[in-house]
Amino acid sequence: MSEELFKRLREAVIAGNEKTVIEVAKEVVEKRLDPLEAIEKGLSVSATVLGEKFDKLEIFLPDLLVAADAMKAGLDILLPNIPKEKAFEKGTVVIGTVKGDIHDIGKNIVVALLRANGFNVHDLGIDIPTSKLIEKAEEVRADIIALSALMSSTIGGQKDVIDYLKDVGKREKFIVMVGGGATTQEWAEEIGADGYAETASEAVMVASRLVERRRST
Amino acid sequence: MVTLLDVVERALTGKPCLEREYDLRVFSSKLREVVKEYDIKYDPDTPVPSDDSLADDVFNAALDFYCEVGTYCTDTGRIIKFDENEIKERLKTAPSQLVFGEGADARTLVPRKPESKTPPWCFIGAGGAPVSCEEIFLKLVESYASIPLANSITTPALTSVRGIRIRPGTPLEILGTIRNIVLAREALRRAGRPGLPIMNALATATTAVALNTALHPDYGLRKTDGYLTGVIAELKTNFDLLNKVCALRSLGYGGGVCAENGPLFGGYCGGPEGTAVTTVAGHFMGILVYQAGWHLPFPVHINYASNSTPELLWVTSVFAQAISRNTHLLSLHLNYTAAGPCTEMCMYEIAAQRLAAVSSGVSIESVGVGKAKHEDYLTPLEPMFASEVAHATKGMRREDANEIVKVLLPKYVDKVADPPLGVKYQECCDIKTGKPSKRCLEVYTKVKEELKDLGLEFSISQEDTG
Repeated sequence: MSEELFKRLREAVIAGNEKTVIEVAKEVVEKRLDPLEAIEKGLSVSATVLGEKFDKLEIFLPDLLVAADAMKAGLDILLPNIPKEKAFEKGTVVIGTVKGDIHDIGKNIVVALLRANGFNVHDLGIDIPTSKLIEKAEEVRADIIALSALMSSTIGGQKDVIDYLKDVGKREKFIVMVGGGATTQEWAEEIGADGYAETASEAVMVASRLVERRRST
Repeated sequence: MVTLLDVVERALTGKPCLEREYDLRVFSSKLREVVKEYDIKYDPDTPVPSDDSLADDVFNAALDFYCEVGTYCTDTGRIIKFDENEIKERLKTAPSQLVFGEGADARTLVPRKPESKTPPWCFIGAGGAPVSCEEIFLKLVESYASIPLANSITTPALTSVRGIRIRPGTPLEILGTIRNIVLAREALRRAGRPGLPIMNALATATTAVALNTALHPDYGLRKTDGYLTGVIAELKTNFDLLNKVCALRSLGYGGGVCAENGPLFGGYCGGPEGTAVTTVAGHFMGILVYQAGWHLPFPVHINYASNSTPELLWVTSVFAQAISRNTHLLSLHLNYTAAGPCTEMCMYEIAAQRLAAVSSGVSIESVGVGKAKHEDYLTPLEPMFASEVAHATKGMRREDANEIVKVLLPKYVDKVADPPLGVKYQECCDIKTGKPSKRCLEVYTKVKEELKDLGLEFSISQEDTG
């Protein structure tokens, strides 16, 4: 019976059917099934499917955002029921488009996929000053600060965040990831970022890898 | 007639709406509705369609769509709306020709039609790609101006001032913008074409304050240059962008205002059909919200940041036919390649993009090479090649363009996700003479020969160069 419920969870998330996701997640809790298993076999699988479908453009951004909302609704019900020793926590991310840049579609895709993959994401929006990003990261004890910039004229804001962290002696406290239209692997290395991704799916993989690496050291 | 003041008033008093609500429940939802209602369907086997009724359906769908969704002002959280009469009236009164440039380099930008023999306007250069130093900037712009078919220039973006990285909204941006125009004008003088218009003024200026400062006549910008004003994806604006328009109009530069619009295939637009409708709707936003005289659409792939895939070629062709068949608007398509400079793949992409756009009735800006993101990865060969293909396409039937594009696509489409980076300017060109290397010229010549075999005729007439 649990397999059937997990399948329904998967299908409901992929279809963006938040109502069904909530119903099934509640059923998982009421029937005292393992919520962690429901996340791993239900929600997480659908997150992978969604990422793959979006990469191939079998689904589009509106579908992805609606599915991510459904996923979040499921997580909100299942996560509080996981015993502390088994806590499911992929990591906390503070994300924003850097100061001077008003573009947010790429960032929104990354936010949706990170959330769908179980990250706790604080999206600060666009045109965010360096100090606000760092302040929020400290407040929520973020693992990752993720910085988006679309234009070659605005990517300097990514360097500013890293330099600021260095200057206040907090560089080692956070993983810093960069991405967006004008950024490249070379740029990420030049400014001393920990990770770079060209697509949203890559961003999820890089974020997962970097958090795992940090926790294992 | 709708004025800029009307636009501002509507931005302050229009229907309030949360941004996410606008994206998902207003924009995406209505777009899906009109695509279904008009039965618009993408055909992967026909990247350059010849179906006039498809083009007209896309135009009418975009008209219905824009009347419903309007433009979202991110500063006020309100929707700026226009009714059908206002759009149609503005379509009638928008400029049907504009003169850019001065003296011997002045030319008239005119509308085209599908399969028209009217030479395409060639807006040539970097597509705003970044360069590392002023020396390369000067050399590149001088080379662009030396391209015989260039009608106007798009400069690269300087990324630093005296070694300090430029940040938007800071004095660095203002100083960088001033340097950008001073250097560009000097490069045009060195090329012997001092009157050539700069139509992307200015790649370094993100904010209104930087552009407005650089408008001082001492720096070299002219009322006969072009001024790009961005549409925030999708169909959004803000007060900083409207400030640019207001300043340009108030200071007498209003004729050159351009609405640049890059709808994202795979984003809120959904598939190719929705992207084509949004690209047409962006023209309506341009004439009303920005009071634009000309238009620079560049629909792009959300994952690849380029527009050479079959879907984007179809979007390019369909929006171009929709606009050129139903209006006299002055529209130039901007192409972005996935591959970097001096690669065969890059040349194939450019050829397919220019064939699709020019045979479908618009002019061109070329070219954002390698997604216009890698510093110094740009050479004069690609824009020169683009202008030559564009002219070789004039008068070509859409059916014929479609057949050639179908031959070109298999040569690169599998590599779009992982394209070659190509070479830097300093690896292609002699920094003293500006001449491209033999190896790079061979790539250009090889692809050009292949296109000749496919039926393109490369000859430049008096009419082409003015």
